[in-house]
Amino acid sequence: MNRPKYLYKSEEEFKVYSFYSEGIKGLIKKMIVFSFTGESNIYNLGFGDYNAETKTIDDEIITNNGDSLKVLATVASTVYAFTEKYPDALVFATGSNNLRTRLYRMGITNNLEEIKVDFEVFGLRVDNNVWEEFISGEDYDAFIVKRKKI
Amino acid sequence: MTTIQKLNSTKLPIIAFDKSLEQFRDKDLFPKKMEKAKEILKKAGLPNFKK
Repeated sequence: MNRPKYLYKSEEEFKVYSFYSEGIKGLIKKMIVFSFTGESNIYNLGFGDYNAETKTIDDEIITNNGDSLKVLATVASTVYAFTEKYPDALVFATGSNNLRTRLYRMGITNNLEEIKVDFEVFGLRVDNNVWEEFISGEDYDAFIVKRKKI
Repeated sequence: MTTIQKLNSTKLPIIAFDKSLEQFRDKDLFPKKMEKAKEILKKAGLPNFKK
C-alpha cells in the first residue's frame, strides 16, 4: 500500500518481521510472524508487541500509540513481502479479540481497492460462518488473502 | 529520495535482514490464535478462490 509505513526487518525466510512503532507512548517494538497452520499452504498471521524480558509477543495488548494506520500499513506491507516469497500461500488472519478483529477489518476496508489489485480477499461472516469475498461494512470474524497470479 | 520515502511510494517492500529474528521462526508464538485459526478452518473450510 502506498501509505506511510515503518521500515521493518526480516529473517531470511521472510516469515518473521519486526519494526518499531513511534508514537505518543514512545518506541514500541512490534513483531509479525507468519506461522504454518498444518493445513496445505495456509499461514496464520500473528502480530503484537514484543516483550524483551519474556521474549514473547503480546497479541492482545491495545497499545494506543496513536499510529494505528501506519502500523496496519506496515503489517500489510509484510503480507506483500511474505507472498512475494511464497506466492501460493494463503494468509489467514483473525484478531485475538473483537477489537483487534475490527482493527484488521478497518485496515482492509480502508485499502480494499488497492489490496484487490494484487490479492483475493475473503471474510468469514460472523452470522453464518461462511467465507465470502470481502465487502466493506460487513462484520467478519476472520480473513484470508491470496496473492493473484500475474 | 530517502529509504522511507521509497518504501512509502511502493507496494513492493524494502527489507533489511536481522538474523536475530530466526529464533522466532517456526515457533508456536500465538497458541490461542493458532487454535482459533485451526478451528475456523475445520468448520468453514476454505473460500472459493478464482485463480
